[in-house]
Amino acid sequence: MQTDIWIAIVVAALGTFAMRAVPLLWTQRHFNKHKANNTQAQLPNWIGVLGPLMIAAMLGVSLIPKVNSMAGWSATLAGSLVTVLVWRKTKTLGLPVLAGVLAFGLVFGVSTILT
Amino acid sequence: MTTSSNTASRPGWQRGVLDALPLLGGYIPVAISFGLIASQAGFTALEATLISLLIYAGASQFLLVAMVASGAPLWLAVSMTLLVNVRHVVYAPNLVPDLTQSRAWPWLMHGLTDQIFALAHTRLAQLNHHDKLGWYTAASLVAWASWVLGTTLGAIAGDTLTQHWPLLDAVMPFALPALFLVLLAPRFSNRLWFYTLSVTIISAMVLALTLLKNAAIPLAAMAGGFTFYLLSRPHNKPEQTHAN
Repeated sequence: MQTDIWIAIVVAALGTFAMRAVPLLWTQRHFNKHKANNTQAQLPNWIGVLGPLMIAAMLGVSLIPKVNSMAGWSATLAGSLVTVLVWRKTKTLGLPVLAGVLAFGLVFGVSTILT
Repeated sequence: MTTSSNTASRPGWQRGVLDALPLLGGYIPVAISFGLIASQAGFTALEATLISLLIYAGASQFLLVAMVASGAPLWLAVSMTLLVNVRHVVYAPNLVPDLTQSRAWPWLMHGLTDQIFALAHTRLAQLNHHDKLGWYTAASLVAWASWVLGTTLGAIAGDTLTQHWPLLDAVMPFALPALFLVLLAPRFSNRLWFYTLSVTIISAMVLALTLLKNAAIPLAAMAGGFTFYLLSRPHNKPEQTHAN
């Protein structure tokens, strides 16, 4: 690969790392300053709200099935329902995900065969 | 989120590995696709693997490879890559209240993907102080390794894999929405969060179906933020004054 493409890749990698790490350093510095002054540091309210909102937005985007068809949407609905039901029963992380994927696969497979 | 009691006694790093396992269902098929697309675009398996190792940000890697392959100016390809990844700036500050004092944290932020953030945002607050660093290191390494190895596999044998198991490619990525659903589920019992999250999820779906996927995430989060602000505003209407 040409050198200029490698430079582009390294710049993209460094930029992405900076966007992940620099806000951490800023916020840690803010918290440490409060600690030194014996005051309670708090995140700005909007940052605390934005965390769950970003997860919800990623959920919405990822819910759209890779195969945009009746089979894909039925499987998404079934997988989501099973995930929530198993979570309510077990309150764990892995088992609801596994059950959801199995339900998704089952409904997707059956619907694909039927249609 | 409530955790299962049988995992609470494990060391942090073991719990990190276990918690990251559901991510593999989403990471590996997408990484295989990336490896395949990169090799079709003219990158060698080593080059595709290095891109995943260094940049480690799914959607932006697809964009970068596609733009480079199409002969777009490199400065534009890099700018677009960084623009797609700009959402990451809000992740680390959300984790800071739950982090320990260690110089390793800034370096570990290389592994702060969307999914690791979602996992860490819930899990770190529940862990003992001495388990946090081990948990995060293990969880992010499992995810990173799966992404890098998946890319290599895709670049070498992606064609064969997708031809042999097309159903697996369609089914496994559901692990990601299932994981996000479980991470958000406890918040749905609160009325304010129920409406806020519902608006965010529906907005993201509608936007992703109509616009670019990467614009959908920040725009939907903004719609959710607006809903949160409207619903949490105190209802202190000014009292009616009767002049006469």
